[in-house]
Amino acid sequence: MMWLILCLALAVASFFYVFYLPGRLFLGPEKTRAGYLRERKDAVYENLRDLNFEYKAGKVPDSDYTSLKSSLQDEAATILAEIARLENNSGPQKGTRS
Amino acid sequence: MAEIGSFALLLALALSVYTFLAGIVALVFQKQTFVPATEPGSKTARRNQVADVGSGSSWAALLRRGSERIGETARRAGIATFAAVFLAAVVLVLCAFRDDFTIAYIFHHSNRDLPAPYKFATLWSGQEGSLLFWSLLLAAYGFVLRLRYKTDPRLFAYASVVLAGVQIFFLLLVNFAANPFGILEGALRPDGSGLNPLLQYPEMVIHPPMLYLGYVGFTVPFAFALGALIMKYPGEKWIHITRRWTMVTWAFLTCGVFLGAHWAYSVLGWGGYWGWDPVENASLMPWLTGTAFLHSVMMQEKRGMLKMWNMWLVFATFWLAILGTFLTRSGIISSVHAFAQSSIGSWFAWFLAISFVVFVFFFFKNKSHLASEHKLESLVSRESSFLFNNLLFVLLCFTVLWGTWFPKISELVQGNKVTVGGPFYNRVAIPVALLLLILTAVGPLLAWRKTSLESLKRNFLWPTVGAIAIAMFLMITPQRWGSPFGLRPWQDISYFYSLMAIGLSVLVTLTVASEFYRGGRVISKHTGQGMFASMVQLTHRNTRRYGGYIVHFGVVVVIIGFAGAAFNQDKEQEMANGDKLTIGSYTLICRSYTDDDAPNYASEWALLDVYKGGKQIDTMTPVRRFYKASQQTSTMPDIRSTLNEDLYLVFEGLNQDNGHPIIKAHLNPLVMWIWLGVWIILGGTVLALVPNAPAPVRVPAPARLEHVQTSPVATGD
Repeated sequence: MMWLILCLALAVASFFYVFYLPGRLFLGPEKTRAGYLRERKDAVYENLRDLNFEYKAGKVPDSDYTSLKSSLQDEAATILAEIARLENNSGPQKGTRS
Repeated sequence: MAEIGSFALLLALALSVYTFLAGIVALVFQKQTFVPATEPGSKTARRNQVADVGSGSSWAALLRRGSERIGETARRAGIATFAAVFLAAVVLVLCAFRDDFTIAYIFHHSNRDLPAPYKFATLWSGQEGSLLFWSLLLAAYGFVLRLRYKTDPRLFAYASVVLAGVQIFFLLLVNFAANPFGILEGALRPDGSGLNPLLQYPEMVIHPPMLYLGYVGFTVPFAFALGALIMKYPGEKWIHITRRWTMVTWAFLTCGVFLGAHWAYSVLGWGGYWGWDPVENASLMPWLTGTAFLHSVMMQEKRGMLKMWNMWLVFATFWLAILGTFLTRSGIISSVHAFAQSSIGSWFAWFLAISFVVFVFFFFKNKSHLASEHKLESLVSRESSFLFNNLLFVLLCFTVLWGTWFPKISELVQGNKVTVGGPFYNRVAIPVALLLLILTAVGPLLAWRKTSLESLKRNFLWPTVGAIAIAMFLMITPQRWGSPFGLRPWQDISYFYSLMAIGLSVLVTLTVASEFYRGGRVISKHTGQGMFASMVQLTHRNTRRYGGYIVHFGVVVVIIGFAGAAFNQDKEQEMANGDKLTIGSYTLICRSYTDDDAPNYASEWALLDVYKGGKQIDTMTPVRRFYKASQQTSTMPDIRSTLNEDLYLVFEGLNQDNGHPIIKAHLNPLVMWIWLGVWIILGGTVLALVPNAPAPVRVPAPARLEHVQTSPVATGD
């Protein structure tokens, strides 16, 4: 009998926890193209930082450094241009909805 | 008690099913009412809002809000699943401690005199318990994932549904195919059958949990990967989110694999640590693909490449982990480690098939989303080194898979079972491991995109010279110096492999050291700090990279330990009191042999004095035990470990005619390096998990925006 009461209590507690929701839910910001581009920009900047550091450490010769840096900067510039274009029409983002 | 456990498992199943179904419903409705990813406040977004108002948008809004709330209940049901499975596991452990032999599982895997730690380990000692343990770990991972959902609620919701799908399978198993709370029919038994003697070893208390944490943990990156694929997640942030999960899981699996090897070495009494046994292979396969994934995923993060390959790798790792559990638990392939034989094989076969079909379906449906953003520019680049590294890992994994399943395949094709042994695997594994060592040395020194000849010369000259010099030294030194000196590669192929392994290990060590030195020098120049402090700071600024180098160094130490196997020696001898046995530089003299009786087992053992250079250095006692409850015999070798070599003694039994003990002695050089290497690997992994210190290095933003055409850069739809 004891185990039956315990099982019942367990079921009720689970039911209560699952279905008794707070009024406001956290849904987070929706990911946009600009958000994605900002992540790409960070990745390219990190690559640039790594390249710079490896150059200073003497791992990358001058000629390689110049060409690699230039191609990474081109990539960053392309991304920044698209972000700028998208942000021309944008406003602040909301994080929580009820 | 058993009723509470059974009910908890049923409740967990119901909650999991709810998590899965309600999660799908919520995601489907959210997708239908989803406003395309435009910038908030942009013209398109405003247009959408206007259109909503004019076309009964209140229904759409209501539907969306409803689906969001259903999604939240699904998340909470997932959390509650953990509580229910945890309760079931606690009940099973309590039953083991209370010697409740009415429960069949406890009767078959425990006995009254079993020491407490093994009673606790009963949870994973048998099939039903270990499947419950699998469910518990998966529920625990799910619990953490669902608590951390605020990182990216939509992606986490998808991952949660995938995870719930896997959870349902394991809960179905423990509820309907392998219930750990099954009641034993007939009269009440006074004592249990006891735990398998091979499992009554301290490492067995932690080896299965480690291995399972690794197996189960790979479900998480897979769940995120599949979720990201299904929802066409824009960008690579899911990799960033799962990076720590993957590394932690990989560390657990590494720990589990090597604990298994150490257990085999310390308990099975054959003098080796790896026998290419199917169950050992089962743990190695996901480790190989998981290691490949850890490397190739960097290409996706850094360069947006290999997206499809990574998707397949993470799926293969998950799939192989399930296959590993299947092999260990179903007894489909004979193994010294398969501690269960049962009919759950068909359940696993169906699950493996269904998960394969589901993955392939979504892969082909959303393949376009995984288009690469860049192409391989040069064969001499960091990217290509990762690519070759991956191909080698996959080749090795395929070889192991083929060898493991060959007995089954040959039985199906020819009608008779043909097993393959160490030589088959070694023919592929050793050359592949050597090539991987070369890549471990070369990879970090290659630049992303392309590397010039000048750069190669600059980075490789001194490490290569150093490695060749050490290899030459090992080759010309006299053999009497002991292993690994006097390695003449022309005398034996195993010497050639050992020399190559040690030479390449030196190369990797020098390249790793040069990375630390060069980086430290830059920081030292800028900050004026000493070299050691600069290297510490360097590591703290990029823990992932430098932690990774330490892992590479640990791998090198392990490989040196493996290389010692070329010099293994063994000798077997019957030893009466005062008899001598000489092996390598050791002389063993039998002082006495005796027997003993403990509540759980009876034992017989020999007392051997160990001499080296005419001086007594130790006394060793190899043991043979007879476990009363299970009526089984097991050996307990005595091992004297030093950095140079292991003296490994086994009490093989008594000569039936004269009652003298038979002793087998093994001399295994460099084995301790393997266990040391694993500690270094784990240390490196922990370091790689530490968050980076902020980098003061500034990179100016490119000042050429106006000259660049503003075309989209990638598929961030």
